[in-house]
Amino acid sequence: MAPERRSAGAAPGERPVLELRAVDVAYHGDIRILQGVSMAVRPGHITGVIGPNGAGKSTALRALYGLLKPVAGDVLIDGEAVTGMKPWRFIERGIALVPQGRSLFNELSVEDNLRLACWSFRKDQARVAAALERAYEQFPMLKERRKHAAGAMSGGQQRFLELGRALALQPRVILLDEPTAMIAPKLAAEIYEFIHGLPARGITVLLVDQNVRQCVRIADHVYVLELGRNKVDGSVGEFTQDADLRSLIAEWVDYRIDA
Amino acid sequence: MESLVLNGLINGLIVGGVYALIGLSLTLLYGVLRIVNFAHGEFVIGGSFLAYVLFNSLGIPPLLALPVAAVSFFAAGWLAYYLLIPRLARSDDPEIMSFLMMYGMSIALAAVMLLMFEADSRSIDYAFKPISMKVGPIYVSTARIVAFGVTVVISAALAWFLYRTLPGKALRATIMNREAIQIVGVDVEKLSAFAFALATGIAGVTGVLIALVFPAFNAFSGAEYSIIGFIVVVLGGLGNPIGALIAGIIYGLAEQLATVFLPQALAQIVGFGILVGTILIRPTGILGWRAQR
Repeated sequence: MAPERRSAGAAPGERPVLELRAVDVAYHGDIRILQGVSMAVRPGHITGVIGPNGAGKSTALRALYGLLKPVAGDVLIDGEAVTGMKPWRFIERGIALVPQGRSLFNELSVEDNLRLACWSFRKDQARVAAALERAYEQFPMLKERRKHAAGAMSGGQQRFLELGRALALQPRVILLDEPTAMIAPKLAAEIYEFIHGLPARGITVLLVDQNVRQCVRIADHVYVLELGRNKVDGSVGEFTQDADLRSLIAEWVDYRIDA
Repeated sequence: MESLVLNGLINGLIVGGVYALIGLSLTLLYGVLRIVNFAHGEFVIGGSFLAYVLFNSLGIPPLLALPVAAVSFFAAGWLAYYLLIPRLARSDDPEIMSFLMMYGMSIALAAVMLLMFEADSRSIDYAFKPISMKVGPIYVSTARIVAFGVTVVISAALAWFLYRTLPGKALRATIMNREAIQIVGVDVEKLSAFAFALATGIAGVTGVLIALVFPAFNAFSGAEYSIIGFIVVVLGGLGNPIGALIAGIIYGLAEQLATVFLPQALAQIVGFGILVGTILIRPTGILGWRAQR
């Protein structure tokens, strides 16, 4: 079954909201983790990034968000080069990140975790209250547990808090790194449905995922990284139709994309 | 004997309060900035000398020196942060570089104080009226009681700030997860500058209190306070502010009671016994379970 497509893909010349252009990232001076990686996040779409372990998927995302400084190449927001911009300035530009692993403040309450995300407008009480309400509305369990320490919740609940925290800020772009890693399958399915529904709410998505099946199912355009380089990229249609691409993916994951 | 023990307990609380403030500053610095501030003891003694100069040259009593020390040290800390710390980030191993740099600072500051005040021990010749107060069967100097009161107020204010206000929670959140605080949009450089300034400001105030609590201080007293501070930080659990406050009191009590029960030579190693014991038995510190994640 071919995945359902919401759109025909990026119109030619449509400006990406977020872009990596020929980015190199190196550790300790000369060990190159990324070499000439490029990718573009098209507005209103879900862009997927897949690849085997160690391909540099998370590194690319960290470089995109200013957590790593590229040694070459550029990061662009709305076509404007912002390479080297500090991570905390991305929120003001409407770009939220839900990183891999835990990004909560374990000893603080659920509500304090949400309040800290409202730091840049903390003096505007009405706006803070509205942001909290948005998160609670999306995930009502957060409201029930608002006084609980974030670290005392289950892995799935913590992930909902991270998603709710990102959503509370009304971003136009959400970057997600392995959103369902270490999450029970039932909850994972719920999370993918949630992500799938984001473009309809006006939120562009960049999804880095080890889970090729789900990523290809909900993404519009997919980038494949391997050994820190772009391997191929294409629309999901191309992925499902191209025998070479299908066998490529079958090579590094035990998963076959049905034509 | 009973009054000796009571004496040990009261003095333990008083000096413990001073150690608690030193430990709290160091744990904040380490937690928020990952800086091992070996020069903290010299910052503290700098506060003692400030109180000394204010009293001897301008006749300003120690209690009025407290706000002067707080404000001037806070400002100096802010400046020092931007002068010193961002450069460290360019190094491959900022933690080791910070350790070496602060160790160098410690030696340099002690040398500057030696130059300015010479090697003699100093004390502030200021007497409260009455000079001492009766606590149960024993007399305690008023200066020490006043210093303890100030310590309690400052500790309570800091705990309230760190646990009840959003900027305080942001500082603790940075200790818990330094990357996450950046992705939720908090300018971690500004926050770090504030933490450094706050810790330096507390050091200045602690210095004034030391001039009230201890008989004398000199240019080389700093190193001892740094070491006690680190023992307190380890005992309280790295990056745990409440742990540091409690550990400071425990250390003070242990030190003072040791002088009551143990021979002089043994009493001096009690602190190091606590350090080694903590690392062997409970490496996460007394409140370390909170840090397990």
